[in-house]
Amino acid sequence: MKYAFFLGCLIPARELSYEVSVRKVLPELGVELIDMKGANCCAPFSIQSVNYDSWLALAARDLCIAEEMGLDIMTLCNDCYESLLMVNSLLKKNPELRDKTNQILSEVGKEYKGKVNVKNLVDVLYGDVGVAKVKNAIKEPISGLKVGAQPGCHLTKPKRIHFELLRGFNELDALVEATGAESIPYERKEMCCGGPLRDIDDDLARKVSREKLKALKDAEVQAVVTVCPFCFLQLDLGQLELKRHFNEEYNLPVIHFIELLRMGMGMKLEEWEVKAHRIPITDLFKGRL
Amino acid sequence: MSELDLGFMSEVAGTPRGSGILLCIQCGRCSSGCPVARLTNDHNPRRLMEMIILGLKKEVLPTQLPWYCLSCFTCLDRCPQGGDVGDVMFAIRNLAVKHGNMPAGVAAQAKALYETTRVINPVRSALDKRESMGLGKLDTEGLEEVKKILKKTEMDKVISST
Repeated sequence: MKYAFFLGCLIPARELSYEVSVRKVLPELGVELIDMKGANCCAPFSIQSVNYDSWLALAARDLCIAEEMGLDIMTLCNDCYESLLMVNSLLKKNPELRDKTNQILSEVGKEYKGKVNVKNLVDVLYGDVGVAKVKNAIKEPISGLKVGAQPGCHLTKPKRIHFELLRGFNELDALVEATGAESIPYERKEMCCGGPLRDIDDDLARKVSREKLKALKDAEVQAVVTVCPFCFLQLDLGQLELKRHFNEEYNLPVIHFIELLRMGMGMKLEEWEVKAHRIPITDLFKGRL
Repeated sequence: MSELDLGFMSEVAGTPRGSGILLCIQCGRCSSGCPVARLTNDHNPRRLMEMIILGLKKEVLPTQLPWYCLSCFTCLDRCPQGGDVGDVMFAIRNLAVKHGNMPAGVAAQAKALYETTRVINPVRSALDKRESMGLGKLDTEGLEEVKKILKKTEMDKVISST
């Protein structure tokens, strides 16, 4: 299994620990990641809001790079996933749109051919590696830990694109349970973390994440497991903001799924990675850090 | 009394992601599932669709109304008409930007993209950490191509006007 690895913008800027865990864990599961040279930002929510044609051409340029590599893409961020997946789907199905986009791409010597697929980390682990193999790799099960899984919006929405690809939220739950942890159902699981409203309406963004954290707290989970780096930021850093603005404390550790898997596989997290969590994880994962 | 622009709905419908507006039956299912509408009366997707249908262009495009949406696509999945409300939201944001209405956060990301190929960039310490970990360098080899694409699609004009 070999993928063109689409790193995105947020992870190298703010969540290096996420990238490091991915690069450590995936080769152990037989997945080879090849960096995409010269890739640009996927054109997420903000850029799509500015200009439609720019969105298509920017995302298509990344798809062209993967085509040249002859590999399917793997993303970590849900926003990267949504943008590349949607544009790939639009251009594959609509020859007129493809021609129009290729006209723009011809300015930079590229042509979109529609030869690759776009996958997310969860797709790769669940669909390609397989839950059985993930389970097999667990040497120190995360037994007895109750977690709330946060798949994030664009892992499964819009459903018109995903219904052929994914079967709902169960993939992440199945992967969480493969590590030995228990995935607890909670209200508002499908609800957004609030991240996209950051820097547009910070107060509202905080209120959305607050709803989510309240529901997680009500379900009495011990930790939140995220896939998307925006969800991670909004729910982890977001708790400090909720303390400042609403004087509310949730004390709910948030952890990237890949870190949970890494600890289950018996690979310890290093001190700087532990410190990348604003809500401390030290008590919860004693002996694994 | 508001000044109506009766061509507003057609204008929205004529943009690449806006055609769903023509299917709206004002059932309100979009609003009932919207995570932002739960928290503030300022945002109400059904009402926003109604305002487009009625032609309240001046009450929509220069205001904050296009910018409350999280683009979580809950409404898009719930619309019984297949009206893709979440896509219509992108259509009105695209039109709002044409009218000079763009939040500073969005403008900053567009500018960073044009200058670096990324919407968010690492601070010095993150780059140092990256190097010390032996992770690959973040390249900007695509910069000239990204600039050409943004010029060709006229996004550079939006960026330079902010």
